[in-house]
Amino acid sequence: MGLLSTLTRGLIRGADRMSAFTSKRGPRSNYKGRGARPAGRLTCSGKFVPVREMIPEFVVPSLQGFNLKPYVSYRAPEGTEPTLTTEMLFNETVAPHIKRDFEEGTFDKNNLEKYGLDPEQKGKLFKLHPKNFVR
Amino acid sequence: MRLTALLSMAAKAAFPRDYRYGTSRPWTFAAKRRNPPGLHRRKVFVDDIPNENWSVFKGDTVEILAGKDKGKQGKVIQVFRHRNWVILEGLNAHYRFIGKTNDYRGTYIASEAPLLLTQISLIDPTDRKPTEVGWRFTEEGERVRVSTRTGRIIPKPPVQRSDGVVREQWKDGPKDTPTEDALLKTYTPSLKTLEEEVMDAMGIKEDRRNHTSYWY
Repeated sequence: MGLLSTLTRGLIRGADRMSAFTSKRGPRSNYKGRGARPAGRLTCSGKFVPVREMIPEFVVPSLQGFNLKPYVSYRAPEGTEPTLTTEMLFNETVAPHIKRDFEEGTFDKNNLEKYGLDPEQKGKLFKLHPKNFVR
Repeated sequence: MRLTALLSMAAKAAFPRDYRYGTSRPWTFAAKRRNPPGLHRRKVFVDDIPNENWSVFKGDTVEILAGKDKGKQGKVIQVFRHRNWVILEGLNAHYRFIGKTNDYRGTYIASEAPLLLTQISLIDPTDRKPTEVGWRFTEEGERVRVSTRTGRIIPKPPVQRSDGVVREQWKDGPKDTPTEDALLKTYTPSLKTLEEEVMDAMGIKEDRRNHTSYWY
């Protein structure tokens, strides 16, 4: 047999060993899930008790006057806003207040909470580090 | 061995050093049939043209200097940089049947053969004759292709989208955000996260906190 056809035969013969073995493959006895997280607790008697906090709930604010749609028109040009960085955020939110207090003479470096900065992430609901919310 | 070394090995060994690129994309079945792993063919020598000196682009009109359709002008449909190939629309073509079954003879189509860059020449827009082309700078500092014979600038062909959408003629559909609404700036910078702002806006109060948990 020619070299090319011998080498090509290696492509065609044999099962695909590399793709993931999901619940869609295998015999009927292959029962596995696709990674859904539990929405409650299994009690010792075998009963499943749903826990309200573990069931995801979408919190959507009022969409009155909201004009954005799923897609953007092809005619829209590229935006000219620079990407937001931490320095820009600081300069726009906190820096003016610090500057004003510094000029008045009331700046106190031990009392930075009044500008919105948090000393530690311990008591917060949405911690920034380690991030404990899904976005 | 180191993870980065392993990953770069996998990326580099995607094609062997003497892989012969053809007109089919390398991941298609036809290309895999012609170049199965373990194939060693005679090397094809390709002139090394650096990226700055590349003068022919998709959509250009060029003239054929050698071959069956010598003297004809055509539009470039595809450019293969790895073989210095160019495919023109309908020119240098052989004809074949595709999609044939046992009873149907198939559709008769023209399949164009690639042409090397040496068999091609760009056309001067003033007299529509083939010329040599060089790269020069304009007064503004823009790098353009200039015909060496007449000095006329050969503009680059406009880039057309493969889905056929022409931006100026686009009509917004029901799911398209209009341009003014998309460009409106409504963001006010604040130190709160999105979740905290939504909770403030909707008046949701959450005083419970999670138990401390540890993971290793």
